Amino acid sequence: MRAPVGRPQRMISGIGIWALFFGVWVTASGLGLVNDLLVPAPQKVFATTWDLFFARDFGGDVLISIGRVLAAFGMACAVAVPLGVMMGAFPWIEAIFAPFVSAWRYLPAPSFIPILLMWFGTGEAPKLALLFIGVIFFLITLIMDHTKTVREELVETALTLGANPRTVVLRVIFPSVLPDIVTAMRQMLAMAWTYLVIAEIVASTTGIGAMMMRARRFLNTDEILSGIIVIGALGLLFDLAFATLHRLAFPYLRTR
Amino acid sequence: MTDAALEIRAVSKRFDLGRGKSVLAVDGIGFDVARNSICVLLGPSGCGKSTVLRMMAGLETPTAGEIVIGGRTVQGPGRDRGMVFQAYTSFDWLSVRRNVEFGMKINGVAPDERRERAARFIDLVGLTKFADAYPSQLSGGMRQRVAIARTLANGPEVLLMDEPFGALDAETRWLMQELMIDVAEKTSTTMVIVTHDLEEAIFLADKIVFLSSHPGRVKQEIVPEFKQGQRIADKEDLVSRDGYGTLEAHLMRLMREEGRGQP
Repeated sequence: MRAPVGRPQRMISGIGIWALFFGVWVTASGLGLVNDLLVPAPQKVFATTWDLFFARDFGGDVLISIGRVLAAFGMACAVAVPLGVMMGAFPWIEAIFAPFVSAWRYLPAPSFIPILLMWFGTGEAPKLALLFIGVIFFLITLIMDHTKTVREELVETALTLGANPRTVVLRVIFPSVLPDIVTAMRQMLAMAWTYLVIAEIVASTTGIGAMMMRARRFLNTDEILSGIIVIGALGLLFDLAFATLHRLAFPYLRTR
Repeated sequence: MTDAALEIRAVSKRFDLGRGKSVLAVDGIGFDVARNSICVLLGPSGCGKSTVLRMMAGLETPTAGEIVIGGRTVQGPGRDRGMVFQAYTSFDWLSVRRNVEFGMKINGVAPDERRERAARFIDLVGLTKFADAYPSQLSGGMRQRVAIARTLANGPEVLLMDEPFGALDAETRWLMQELMIDVAEKTSTTMVIVTHDLEEAIFLADKIVFLSSHPGRVKQEIVPEFKQGQRIADKEDLVSRDGYGTLEAHLMRLMREEGRGQP
């Protein structure tokens, strides 16, 4: 019943489910079962995507969006990695920050949009701030939890080899937890994309989300669907990039 | 000045269990570990032998009494007392060579000397062919060899081992025990080894300190006289010696007395 599935069979069924999805879509649009204005045919969506990139400079919007995600996510990591590791390594540091961090996790980041707009106006700052707030508290918590799972024997071994606390953190705890940190970053980057689209839809004139809101005004459903596809593709690409980084940076995990 | 590498003076340890409760794990233990000797701490589970070892390492603080190494009272962990644990402690992100160099590196030993010493101790534990492998590519016994080489390369005055072969299968355990005799002969390292394995205790020990349980006290200090002051290099030889069986039977009786009333 729970026999594993071979690679060829998985490939076939994986492609099959998508073929079915597009097949239903093409058929429904072709036979006029759906309103063409609301659900354009897939071939039209792909043609529009092509047109957006090569005739209407959509690439610029995409780059702006990528830039926002990377900038905000980079800042979040720059704070969360050292803080999360220190909180996981030293209970007294956790005691200081954990009550603060865990409270913020329960505040939905989008609820800050009105106040962020009042504070920062409509430039880049409120978008970066939203992404930062949306990601950082989860990232800190994940990294702290991973750091706590570093085995006590590793720490004690380092201590009996003559390490001081600083050396233990930098040379044992951090390298030991690093693969898990990269995994946590990979998970949270997906969340950063979600907040990016929210920020761009609510208050922006540039970026993928803004393009989609413009398209809505002119009833260009094909452009909206293009935006969705591009966001999905970018998310997938970044995920693959992190997976590759993980494989290349930690060869010792592959060898068992 | 005595010829003791390590002196345990009236050491007690009480663990706080919270809500005003506490348990006395170790009660007024005292013994010496002679320089260049192998001392085995033996006893049933719950006798506090691991606690005593951890206090020697400085990983626990005695509630009363003191532990003295080379004239200094132990205040905390330090490179003069290297420790090998039962659980695997190899640093998975470092090759075998870099694992063995780790202690020397953090203590500022120059790269040339570091490499040379690491190579020597990797050779001593028979891992030269695997020097560039990652620990995850090695068997359990080989990983413990890495831990032993890493600790010894750091040049400790005393090597502390907490049931180091407990997780290994039987034949690997013999080989590791024989390796330790070889290492002790070649490096003249003082060792304190915790075990509950009688055969291992008799094979390795120049002196056995038998601890009673709940709380841990020294029940008896035993020198395996039948070895006549010589270490025996292999186990077949050990078990066929006159006097081996008598000592093992004696230790079994001690174990049984201490285990009485417990499951």
